[in-house]
Amino acid sequence: MRKTIGRAIAGVAVLAVAGMALSAAWAHGPTRQKVRESMEINAPAAKVWAVIGNFQDMSWLPPVAKTEGEKGNEIGATRRLTLTGGGIVDEELYKFDAAAMTYSYRITAVDVKVLPVNNYSSTLTVTPSADGKGATLEWAGAFYRGFPNNDPPPELSDEASVKAVKGLYQTGLEALKKKIESGS
Amino acid sequence: MRVLALVLILAALAARIASASAEEAFVTNQLSDDLMVVDLATARSVATIPIGGKPAGVAVTADGRFAYVTSPDAKAVTVVDAATRQVAGRIEVGGGPLGIAVAPDGKTVYVADWYAAAVRVIDTASRSVTASIAVGASPSGLAVTGDGKLLLSADRDDDSVSVVDTATRERKAVIKVGTRPFGVTIDAEGKRAYTANVGSNDVSVIDIATGAEIARVPVGMRPYAVALTQGRGFVTDQYGGTVSVFDVATLKPVKRINVGDYPEGINATADGKRVIVACWESNTLDIIDATELKVIGEVKTGDGPRAFGAFLRRTE
Repeated sequence: MRKTIGRAIAGVAVLAVAGMALSAAWAHGPTRQKVRESMEINAPAAKVWAVIGNFQDMSWLPPVAKTEGEKGNEIGATRRLTLTGGGIVDEELYKFDAAAMTYSYRITAVDVKVLPVNNYSSTLTVTPSADGKGATLEWAGAFYRGFPNNDPPPELSDEASVKAVKGLYQTGLEALKKKIESGS
Repeated sequence: MRVLALVLILAALAARIASASAEEAFVTNQLSDDLMVVDLATARSVATIPIGGKPAGVAVTADGRFAYVTSPDAKAVTVVDAATRQVAGRIEVGGGPLGIAVAPDGKTVYVADWYAAAVRVIDTASRSVTASIAVGASPSGLAVTGDGKLLLSADRDDDSVSVVDTATRERKAVIKVGTRPFGVTIDAEGKRAYTANVGSNDVSVIDIATGAEIARVPVGMRPYAVALTQGRGFVTDQYGGTVSVFDVATLKPVKRINVGDYPEGINATADGKRVIVACWESNTLDIIDATELKVIGEVKTGDGPRAFGAFLRRTE
């Protein structure tokens, strides 16, 4: 009997936590933030696209140790990124245009300790240079700070979220440039 | 003589067309912390007014005298003299002011507190908060009926709309809608209201008198707000980068118009001919021809335009 009650209470607690997680994923601060970084790469656009154009493979981004997902590059495709430190990021593809070499995805679940953001969405676009020999890769993000309520602590402020995403994009773009230009 | 008469008639006609479209947009540029004024006839920016506190919501009075702007980070509402483009006052409201609406007579301003289940009531004569109305969780968009008798609040985290009697300042009904309603718009007759449901990617159609949701119209991804004109609803789809158009009689989708990235605040002009859209990501104010259903103009804005609320002002 006691065991049953204990289990029932545990069940309620799990539901309560699930409910909190759900609302936390939706609640957000008042000001959406923007980050836009781009990198010129000395390789044809098609070659850059060949590396980043598969939603199921984000191995080009340094902290990503593993990409697992479903539905390839279809709209609504999902992927789970496991980072080298053990962090997990769940993402969903919502736009994909191979001809225009661009796609957009959003984070469906991430701990703010991994990336201090809420309601994050992002777009990658490859643009060929005028002579066709090079390309520019642009990475644009839109997101709210990690703290969903008023008066955020410094580590979950608007500024902290911008700094983290900007750092991530710069690291990713530099690594990608190196990877492609070195031919690896 | 005849030629001169014709010229005069043409001139008068041209003046009438110009005055019919003499309207300005008051756009909150949240990331550049200001309010910009765009003359819609010439599609040019005519003023930029520093606001601070990350301005988001805006409500222009029906007589065009004032624009009230919410600054969630400053926990304040700024009063802007619309004609002189000067800040005329600042009202401390506390909490997280976001959505805002002004009564048709201009005497009362309603401000939604995003972090509390409350709408603050501002008396515009004394420029102070005089009352608070209990609504649902995370009130977002606000709208007042044309007769001033009802205030509607889109309570985002309760998936519902509160209907408030403005005389008693009490909630008289709660209407369940789609998931995470954000913007709410009432039609000119005060019969129906429309909410943009961010979570369920649709628009709820509400019959105000019966207090019931009567239909859902599917739109693009992450809808933000709704504008009404020429028998159609125009909905900004933030993630879609489109404006979804639907027929308000049949409630069927008509078209999706490509606009700038992350379209947010949307209003129809007083003459009903244009729909004006603030595109947050691309930093543009897009002008849509409401008949042709296409973008016919674009104005550069500051950074992160939101224009959440009734942001158009008639100058004639």
